Amino acid sequence: MHISRRDFLKYCGLTAAAVGLSSTELLRLEEALANPTGPTVLWLQGTSCTGCSMSLLNYVSPTAPTSVADLLINNINLAYHPNLMSLAGQSAAEQARQAYNNGGYILAVEGGIPTAFGGNTCWAWTYNDVEVTFQQAVKDLATRAAGVISIGTCASYGGIPAAKPNPTRIRSVKNITRKNTINIAGCPPHPDWIVYVVAQLLIGNPIPLDRYGRPMAIYGQTVHSACPRRDTDSCLWNKGCRGPGAYANCPVNLWNNGVNWCVNANAPCYACTESTFPGTISLYTPMYNPHGGKDRNCDRCHEDERDEDGGGGGGTGPHSAAFIQANQGNCNSCH
Amino acid sequence: MATITVIDPVTRLEGHLKIKVAVDTVNGVQQVVDAWATGTLFRGFESILINRHPADAQHITQRICGVCPVSHGLAAVMALDQAYGITAPANARIMRNLVLGANMVDSHILHFYHLALPDFINGPDMPPWQPSWQVDKGRFSAGQTSTLVSHYVSALDMRRKAQEMGAIFGGRLPHPPTYIPGGFTTRPTSAMISQFKTYLSEITAFIENTYIPDALLLASLYDDYKGVGGGYGNLLAYGVFDLDAAGTNKLLRRGRTINASPDVQPVDVNAISEQVKYSWYNDRTDNLNPAVGVTTPQYPKNSRSLMRLMKANPQNLSLFGAYSWMKAPRYEGLPYETGALARMWVNGDYKAGVSVMDRHLARAYETLKVAEALLAWVNQINVNGSVAVSGRVPETASAIGLTEAPRGALGHWLQITDGKISRYQIITPTCWNASPRDAAGIRGPIEQALIGTPVQDVNQPIEVVRVIHSFDPCLSCAVHVMRPGEGKKIFTLHHSHGVEESHDHEHGHDHVH
Repeated sequence: MHISRRDFLKYCGLTAAAVGLSSTELLRLEEALANPTGPTVLWLQGTSCTGCSMSLLNYVSPTAPTSVADLLINNINLAYHPNLMSLAGQSAAEQARQAYNNGGYILAVEGGIPTAFGGNTCWAWTYNDVEVTFQQAVKDLATRAAGVISIGTCASYGGIPAAKPNPTRIRSVKNITRKNTINIAGCPPHPDWIVYVVAQLLIGNPIPLDRYGRPMAIYGQTVHSACPRRDTDSCLWNKGCRGPGAYANCPVNLWNNGVNWCVNANAPCYACTESTFPGTISLYTPMYNPHGGKDRNCDRCHEDERDEDGGGGGGTGPHSAAFIQANQGNCNSCH
Repeated sequence: MATITVIDPVTRLEGHLKIKVAVDTVNGVQQVVDAWATGTLFRGFESILINRHPADAQHITQRICGVCPVSHGLAAVMALDQAYGITAPANARIMRNLVLGANMVDSHILHFYHLALPDFINGPDMPPWQPSWQVDKGRFSAGQTSTLVSHYVSALDMRRKAQEMGAIFGGRLPHPPTYIPGGFTTRPTSAMISQFKTYLSEITAFIENTYIPDALLLASLYDDYKGVGGGYGNLLAYGVFDLDAAGTNKLLRRGRTINASPDVQPVDVNAISEQVKYSWYNDRTDNLNPAVGVTTPQYPKNSRSLMRLMKANPQNLSLFGAYSWMKAPRYEGLPYETGALARMWVNGDYKAGVSVMDRHLARAYETLKVAEALLAWVNQINVNGSVAVSGRVPETASAIGLTEAPRGALGHWLQITDGKISRYQIITPTCWNASPRDAAGIRGPIEQALIGTPVQDVNQPIEVVRVIHSFDPCLSCAVHVMRPGEGKKIFTLHHSHGVEESHDHEHGHDHVH
């Protein structure tokens, strides 16, 4: 895909600030985006389950790119992807090496980076009879990349394979590369989220990120804030729903081409987009009790309404202790 | 003198696989004379599951694999049902099958068109399809190739739709959150049934009119591959898609056969053990049934004297030590292949042979069989029926969940102590298939299947990957879950000083930034 250099330069300043790119990094991104055959993307897999790639393959849209085939044929130059590429072995690794020599590619990493046993619990490839650890490959490839994207919660924060006791000492892509990665969190991430980031990079639009490196456009609101089950009897709080602490647009965007989403299937949200996923507490342990009690965590989001709603014990609002006591057993007055 | 060829990574499979083959000329034909399969990723799921609440197991284990997550979710809740002493209601059993079936259909379509077919045709003239190895790709005409490429693109749509179909009941795919002990979370409606059937109709037509004919065309043009990649012919299936509450009747039954015999034998899970002589696990944990399995990683494992000998004698193919993160599952000491061919064989649906092409054909036929069954099952749903029974977490329990992933027999062995998971062992289908040698030096199924494979060009060993791909390997599953053993010693490699012991850190981090 060819983007005019003038259009691109118009966005440069904003882009740099938004994605936290240094001027050197910005220059490389500029080169990548100016490539008429589409920017080269190297997609590597570490401690992944391939769920992120499978989710990407579910991508479909009424506007361009309309499908993964469209994306691959018309928008990007996917020079390396272990599940899709034709070549194997050293000749496959050569594709990554050639991109490295040219510089200016986008490095997308799916899965975390294990460091135990000298990094030997995950090899990227065998090159000239030497087994190259994933850790080494990612470190090296990041140095000449125009941008680094962490695909999924594992690459962004470690995810499930890094859950206690993190047996293979997994670290995030950002941690290993010391680069500011764009974190497309999710286990898996929605395909729209991945394509959004790629599209914004191609166009040169700014991608404002939150403090966890996630694009605000997708992760700016909690699942709870848009959940249709708020304040209804079918709220899944007592099944452990983490909606109030999960930043993602699932209730709006839905999943699998609008067919469904977790909460609609009566499954509580377990906040798979969060850096703390999966945590050590059972995914079914209630975390956000709308009626107070020791599980109460309203303060997390409702700090300003504390006095009115009773967060912290005071007030007379509908979630305060006083209100609940006054209306004991009469939940129907609101629900 | 044999030439050693290494393929790492083997692409177009799930996960991380390295293959080493020795190629030599025998009776005038250049062919594989020996092979070693290495799983090159290891994560430690079992360790992560220890001390967790049992009902988290189906969510955690699904992340073993994002291509076949549903089978893990199902195996986990089957084990949990057994542990809790509860039985899922019929509606739940059906919905569990519907989502698994949808995943199996999507996975098989993905495998044939996107993972296997590029071994035989040239895709569009750009990455990721090009560059590619140009050996033995001239059997399809230009017109046939063009049609297959367009089918590759429609197949991307079809597998996406199969996942959408699964999400109707499953919530979302990959990693559906709807599997729970005692049942399923979704309350079915007529609208869901109707939507499912609409998707299913289109997908079934694709399987009948496009997928199966394409598989038959491939098998006819590459007919010689009916004599390639056979291996042992030992086939194992736990069976899948329970048709009743007890699981006695299944769409695809449980059984096994030895040496491609048409006679099917029963399966006794007590006969399963995992060997570790050639795997990077401590030899003290060798030959254990998964119910008492222990996983103690040891890397590197080979003594320095062996490593010196290997380096000095690269042509001595019998000199090798441990070489894989995969353990070697064995049934009564024998290696077994598992997958669509094994299921269809055991069920009496396909017994034409065991080879590269037989695997592709059996998989295509199985896809249709499952799709047709999905229609029957979705019509059995009772929209007013219950979807779950509640159960209490037992203080102590041992349980097993046996089912089938698209790639073959999958087992979860669960142990609960003090109401928490105290042991969780998993043997996945690809662990059976991509297994390394066992203590007796018997090769694993893929390793054996490679013996005798003709190789035209050792720098473009397309024939080797064709054999490997026929198994539809899924390596994230295959590599064993890990638990630090007693004493928690981990061997680390320091390049300048060789192997030394270091003590495990007691507590890892919950998450990393």
